[in-house]
Amino acid sequence: MITGTLAIGLAHYLTVAAILFTLGIFGIFLNRKNLIVIMMSIELMLLAVNLNLVAFSAFLGDLVGQVFTMLVLTVAAAEAAIGLAIVVVFYRNRRSIEVEDINKLKG
Amino acid sequence: MLMAASVFLPLLGAIIAGFFGRLIGDRGAQIVTCTCIGLAAICSIPTFADVALHGNHHLVHVMTFLSSGTFEAAWSLRFDTLSATMVMTVTCVSTLIHIYSCGYMSHDDSQPRFMAYLSAFSFAMLMLVTSDNLVQMFFGWEGVGVMSYLLIGFWFKKPSACAAAIKAFVVNRVGDFGFLLGIFAIYYLFDTVNFDTIFEAAPGKAESTVTFFSHQWHALTITCLLLFVGAMGKSAQLFLHTWLPDAMEGPTPVSALIHAATMVTAGVFLVARMSPVFEYAPSALAFVTFVGATTAFFAATVGCVQNDIKRIIAYSTCSQLGYMFVACGVSAYQAGIFHLMTHAWFKALLFLSAGSVIHAMSEEQDIRKMGGIWKLIPFTFAVMTIGTIAITGIPPLSGYFSKDMIIEAAYNSGTGIGKYAYFMTILVALLTAFYSWRLVFITFFGAPRADHHTMEHIHESPLVMLIPLGALALGAMFMGGGFNHLFVGEGREAFWHEAIKVLAPHDSIERAHQEHAPFLIHHLPLIVSLTGLAIAYWMYIVRPGTATRIANAVPGLYRFLLNKWYFDELYNFIFVRPAFWLGRVFWKVGDGAIIDGLGPDGISNLVGRTARRLGVVQSGYLYHYAFAMIIGIALVVTWIVAGQPGVAP
Amino acid sequence: MMNAVPDFAPAFPEIMLVLAGMVFLLFGVLRERDSMQLLTGAVIAAMLIAGVLILRQPDTGAVTFGGLFLINGFTGFAKLLTLGGAMLTLVLINNWAQTAGTARFEIPILVLFATVGMLLMISANDLIALYVGLELQSLSLYVLAAVHRSDLRATEAGVKYFVLGALASGLLLYGMSLVYGFAGTTTFAGLATATASGGNIGVLIGIVFIIAGLSFKVSAVPFHMWTPDVYEGAPTPITAFFSVAPKIAGLALFLRVLYGPFGPMLHQWQQVIVAISVLSMAWGAIAAIAQRNIKRLMAYSSIGHVGYALIGLATGTLEGARGMLFYMLIYIVMNVGTFACIMAMRVNGKAVEDISALSGLARTRPMMAAGLAALMFSMAGIPPLAGIWGKFYIFMAAVNAGLIVLAVLGVLASAIGAFYYLRVVKIMYFDEVGPVIERPNAVTGTLIAVCSVAMLAFFIVPSPLVDSAAVAAKSLFPG
Repeated sequence: MITGTLAIGLAHYLTVAAILFTLGIFGIFLNRKNLIVIMMSIELMLLAVNLNLVAFSAFLGDLVGQVFTMLVLTVAAAEAAIGLAIVVVFYRNRRSIEVEDINKLKG
Repeated sequence: MLMAASVFLPLLGAIIAGFFGRLIGDRGAQIVTCTCIGLAAICSIPTFADVALHGNHHLVHVMTFLSSGTFEAAWSLRFDTLSATMVMTVTCVSTLIHIYSCGYMSHDDSQPRFMAYLSAFSFAMLMLVTSDNLVQMFFGWEGVGVMSYLLIGFWFKKPSACAAAIKAFVVNRVGDFGFLLGIFAIYYLFDTVNFDTIFEAAPGKAESTVTFFSHQWHALTITCLLLFVGAMGKSAQLFLHTWLPDAMEGPTPVSALIHAATMVTAGVFLVARMSPVFEYAPSALAFVTFVGATTAFFAATVGCVQNDIKRIIAYSTCSQLGYMFVACGVSAYQAGIFHLMTHAWFKALLFLSAGSVIHAMSEEQDIRKMGGIWKLIPFTFAVMTIGTIAITGIPPLSGYFSKDMIIEAAYNSGTGIGKYAYFMTILVALLTAFYSWRLVFITFFGAPRADHHTMEHIHESPLVMLIPLGALALGAMFMGGGFNHLFVGEGREAFWHEAIKVLAPHDSIERAHQEHAPFLIHHLPLIVSLTGLAIAYWMYIVRPGTATRIANAVPGLYRFLLNKWYFDELYNFIFVRPAFWLGRVFWKVGDGAIIDGLGPDGISNLVGRTARRLGVVQSGYLYHYAFAMIIGIALVVTWIVAGQPGVAP
Repeated sequence: MMNAVPDFAPAFPEIMLVLAGMVFLLFGVLRERDSMQLLTGAVIAAMLIAGVLILRQPDTGAVTFGGLFLINGFTGFAKLLTLGGAMLTLVLINNWAQTAGTARFEIPILVLFATVGMLLMISANDLIALYVGLELQSLSLYVLAAVHRSDLRATEAGVKYFVLGALASGLLLYGMSLVYGFAGTTTFAGLATATASGGNIGVLIGIVFIIAGLSFKVSAVPFHMWTPDVYEGAPTPITAFFSVAPKIAGLALFLRVLYGPFGPMLHQWQQVIVAISVLSMAWGAIAAIAQRNIKRLMAYSSIGHVGYALIGLATGTLEGARGMLFYMLIYIVMNVGTFACIMAMRVNGKAVEDISALSGLARTRPMMAAGLAALMFSMAGIPPLAGIWGKFYIFMAAVNAGLIVLAVLGVLASAIGAFYYLRVVKIMYFDEVGPVIERPNAVTGTLIAVCSVAMLAFFIVPSPLVDSAAVAAKSLFPG
């Protein structure tokens, strides 16, 4: 184990994951331009979760966390595929994937 | 069997006329509903004799419809003297009004619907009065409310009728809210909603208190006040009275049945039914007396200056309901119910004869445009006069007995508020006589003020309308004298049994019988009533025009009364306008172009300036939605973490 | 645990549905003509069989797949409700697709997969199983929202639902990772043991995130923002499906999760649910007032209804759980009936959604108006229609659990909410005759009639339904 000031513990992993998660969230609501960026932000959030799970798994010495990660990755792939498909049909109708153009339904 | 029949037959009639109205046609619907309600009335009479006169109380179990833990509500019909009296009154008056409606509504194009509504209303009212527990009563309570809403708005093409229907509904909702809280309070205190159990347990709870807003309150007082709020809404007492006069937009038979004879008395019935609880809440009783007396006075003053024939009678109803509450408030529940019954007959009579007048005058309702028609419609004139004599309390007609009893009970109640009620009711007796006779004099006497065309068409109503009028007139004449002994006289103990409970120290009727009041006090109601008649006679027959001179002399007072003490304006100012204003503040921020200029923007108040900068929240933009979610979770997490000092990190 | 072959029997209905779904999918792809009509029938048949299988499962309950999957009386009841809602709306969906010419064989299959996802959610006994079931449901729903591919509004609804749904899934997962890390396990049984000692702040934050994720699925304030837009944009019968089945499954899952693994931490999460419930009731009641589009109105209405149902959850008692199940039972029938009415709102062959199109309906289509009026009265909670009973049990449970303020606020919100339901009635009965609405077709007409009569006749014999809800709720409280 690395000792001294460079020791990387659970808290560090959690902090990084939290930062990534927050970045993902900010990506969703600060971005006004591109739907694809939102898709990427969602991936970022899921990755932050995976990082959390793996870190806990290692810390607890319990494999369930890593199994969970595998499932999250799989589902995330399916989610991305479906998301992109929906974005494509939307583009065909609207001829734009700017987030600001998704505004027909309101009130 | 008879009892169940008297309750369920109207429902049968309503279902047949409502669902198969087209099939059986106008005539068929009339025959079906009148037969059903008529049979119900016939069934109710032996029931009344059996229950009230022979003292056999019944509980007809229909089915258990709710049970959950300690909470159990059965659906059963409770027949004691109180409900038997109400059932008889409701079915009889309702039958006459059904028959009358066949004539009155003969030009309308949706008669089956009207008849079905009337029958359904009667059923709901019967459910209300025969209920064995508060939940069942609430059913009936809401049922009559809905039917009243539908019937007021029956002529939905008239915008004023729609507005009145909505107003009635909203005001009643306020009252119902109180009633519902009252039921909760009862359940909280007694752990049941069944009348018998509540009544048994009530004396034991006389001293219990509840802590609310860190203050000890007398539990039964709170409960009774909440129930009374419900009663105020239904019975149009002061502050919640505004819907009743507007409800006159409905067809006249509706006004007679619902807004005079039956539904509006539900509040009085509720207080009488709950008398074993109210008896242990003297402060609540004082409040009931106060509201009743004040309403009676308020409505009577307003009634003196109105010009719409139905509105005058509506305010008179409001005022008479005040009398009934005064009776309940001074623990003379028997007198209240007695007045309720006599009132049902003579008020239905007054309304229906007003309907007959309107019918004759080609739908004219303004009494200033009538006059001089008594020779043309002598029968209507005669029965209306009978009704007026009855309501003004001139012996031997029915109003005299019941009203006198209330005034005497108030005098003998021995409380300060009772004295207030006594003075108010005496004053109101004067005003009642004045406005009732004013109505008769202006409508039937003097020079004809209607146009030539109308005068030519004046005709007596058809027989199908006159027969119910005659029957009601008979009721108005003899109901009081006939039942005086049983309801409030020496026979009352045997008559009421357990249906009404009065604690001995409160028993104002007993004292009224025991202690002989001074001659003047005893006869004062009759004296003021005759005085009112004399004043009206002088002002409208001997010296027509006096009224106008008085109105011109005190224009402020006149306008004050004409505008009904400005209650509508006040409510408009306090509730309606701020509500609209609040609505605008909530919704009109940002996009005025959204549908109707009302794009919702509520949450911006929650998320504050930041969200406002980002725009309207339900804006259609994804990032606003995501932002709301994030803010939501951030707030919750902060709140939870800050609020959990005990949890170890 | 270590059995080579797990016991399949408890999960047999779900397995059967998944296999059926895949066979149907192959069939649909390989068949030349569109087979939506046929497949709808097949899916409904499969669901019926699944329902029968669920009914025949033992009352004692069972756990299988190494503790991932659980059945008992509660899951059975919730699954039957979900299946019922799905089947009723599937009838509507097929009816719509055939008349609007948008038939596509994937639709019933997507509904089937979404429903399987819901059943898995209800039966989940582990955070992982919960997540997988939830995503199976959500992914199918995203596609369903956008299934009308050439329609801008439907696709926009799909995009919004997807993005916000993915965000909610992210929150949920993050919460799960925290719970896993701080409690050391993902199984419900293990979590119950771990939280029995009071839990810690990490678990608590995790729970809050999980609550947020689930609140999104049931559209509770402040995670409801997608609801009005998606309800408006998606095709009407799809909206009906959204408003029924996922809500039941989501609320059932809520009950399972909060009463099971996190039950010991009742006092920590209770206030969150109370707050969400109050906000939802208030929001649903107030925001709906400004609405002109009936589908948006229904969106706010369902936000409000979820608020009432959450009162039952907030109590943490058996009575509350029973009230909630019972409320959802009535809610399904009310909603399906109302959406059948909305589908019947067609003028000159075109669907209309503005409430003003209903004006004077009482004179042009009296039976339809009467049906819709009954449903609206029921939603407003006017006795003796069914709606009041759902509210009644919920409020009663709240009072008994000491949440008197919550009950009073609920009554207040329902009084406000009554306004906009009654406005619909007022428009139908009192306004001038507007555009003449076409006669409802056989399917919608029957559904309107059945649902509204059910609302009217309900008060005659409510006891059996209440009792079965009570029995189901009891299995949430072992011992």
